[in-house]
Amino acid sequence: MSDGLTRRDALNRVARGTVLLGFGGTAAFLIEKADGQVVWQVDASRCVNSRLGEVGVPVCTLCTTECVVQQSAVRAVNNFRECGRCYICPAYYNIKSAVDEKGLPSEKLCPRDAIERQPIGMVDPGDPANNFYEYIIDDEKCDGCGICVKGCKEPLGLGSIILKVRHNLCVDCNHCAISLACPKEALVRQPVADALEPTLATHSTR
Amino acid sequence: MTAAAQPRRSLVVLATLVLLALLAPDKALAQGVQYERPVEVAPQQETIGGGYVTPDVQKPRPREYWLEVLDVVLLAFAMGIAVWLVVSRRSRQWALGLTVACLAYFGFYREGCICPIGSIQNVALSLADPTYKIPIVVTAVFFMPLVVALFFGRAFCGGVCPLGAMQELVVLRPVQVPRKLDDALGLLKYVYLGLAILLAVQPAIARDFVICRFDPFVGFFRREGFAHMMFIGAGFLVLGTVVGRPYCRYLCPYGGLLSWCSRLAKRGVTISPAKELDCGLCANACPYGAIEKNRAVRKECLYCARCYASCPCETSPGAAV
Repeated sequence: MSDGLTRRDALNRVARGTVLLGFGGTAAFLIEKADGQVVWQVDASRCVNSRLGEVGVPVCTLCTTECVVQQSAVRAVNNFRECGRCYICPAYYNIKSAVDEKGLPSEKLCPRDAIERQPIGMVDPGDPANNFYEYIIDDEKCDGCGICVKGCKEPLGLGSIILKVRHNLCVDCNHCAISLACPKEALVRQPVADALEPTLATHSTR
Repeated sequence: MTAAAQPRRSLVVLATLVLLALLAPDKALAQGVQYERPVEVAPQQETIGGGYVTPDVQKPRPREYWLEVLDVVLLAFAMGIAVWLVVSRRSRQWALGLTVACLAYFGFYREGCICPIGSIQNVALSLADPTYKIPIVVTAVFFMPLVVALFFGRAFCGGVCPLGAMQELVVLRPVQVPRKLDDALGLLKYVYLGLAILLAVQPAIARDFVICRFDPFVGFFRREGFAHMMFIGAGFLVLGTVVGRPYCRYLCPYGGLLSWCSRLAKRGVTISPAKELDCGLCANACPYGAIEKNRAVRKECLYCARCYASCPCETSPGAAV
């Protein structure tokens, strides 16, 4: 009886050792492959709303609808260095709407009225068309629908507005729900330093 | 001109009118601003003048890396405590306390992410797809509970898992599920495991992470979620009042892996033949059907220590001789 028990123990020990070795090997393989801390981010050159050459397609709002966070962790960001500061901004105004008495489009583009506009620099109140304007996106209101991103895209704008994952809101899911839905695989894991930098969208072959 | 041609002409006129009506909105649009991009390059602060300074783009930083490592350390620590409380101290109260603490931290504070259950999919995909990398933290979170299970059984399930803790707290009047039905339902989790891995390793266009998508309790942790999943989660909790931890026993794919590993466990919840009374109180106390013929079954045991709490030998030492 005691002999049987020890044999069983020995077999158990061998099995455990084998499984542990297997785990160790697999873990080593995965760790070898990994590269530090990575976070989810939108690749602007893949996102259909911002990438160049993508014309005639409707605005993609999957970032708003698929995120597990109620008001999506993806928000539109205006990269001020690249902003044209236009008088009639194609991301701020619905440029297809009728013109009002001031000569400006009568409708705004953002469905949540999240973009604020103010003249900057040396302001000439007498000639509003001759001023520069700052367009600031309200982080609290924006839900990342991408309408303004598409509005600002070439050839209408300079493409300064892109979608970005807000890391203070993102719960960093094992696998991002938006990335599963995104038709262009635009949600990618990036090293933190890269993920924080605002980038310009380019053409993409994906 | 024949009489038959008359209605044909009026048809043509009608069609033209309809066409015009269809085109009308476009005409209205054409009255908007004839838009032309006014600039080719972005004006910088020198051009703008008036003391204007280009503001920085807001860059909210992700959670600090050391906090993510802390999660891993806490996971290891909590499993160690669970083993100590259940196997050495045999204390139901303290084990329950640990469960509640872990529910508060891993569940409601960390909002159910990161979790070893969902990481099955990441690990499977990372093994299958050479370009898919997973953070070291995920690898650690996936393997640690399995290694603990190899030595001590499913300490993760009882002590740490927030999904298990949700159900642990609603066990009110558990019924013993007939053994055969219990075994048959227990196979479901392996089917789910296989399905989840199969869907996770698909090419990106067909890929789906079903474990996360159909996680019944994560909506409660986040206090928001899809209505149908909240409904299913509530269903599991209601069912859980009479059937102990239904998700863990019959569906949890990670439970399947842990169950395999815990078959090899060295130590764990044990009913020692030398000291037992053959009273069967422990088997009645176990809501998870993990005591068979008055012996604890490692692969089913969820580390709740109810058997110890029910044992006359444990509660009043010396009473049994």
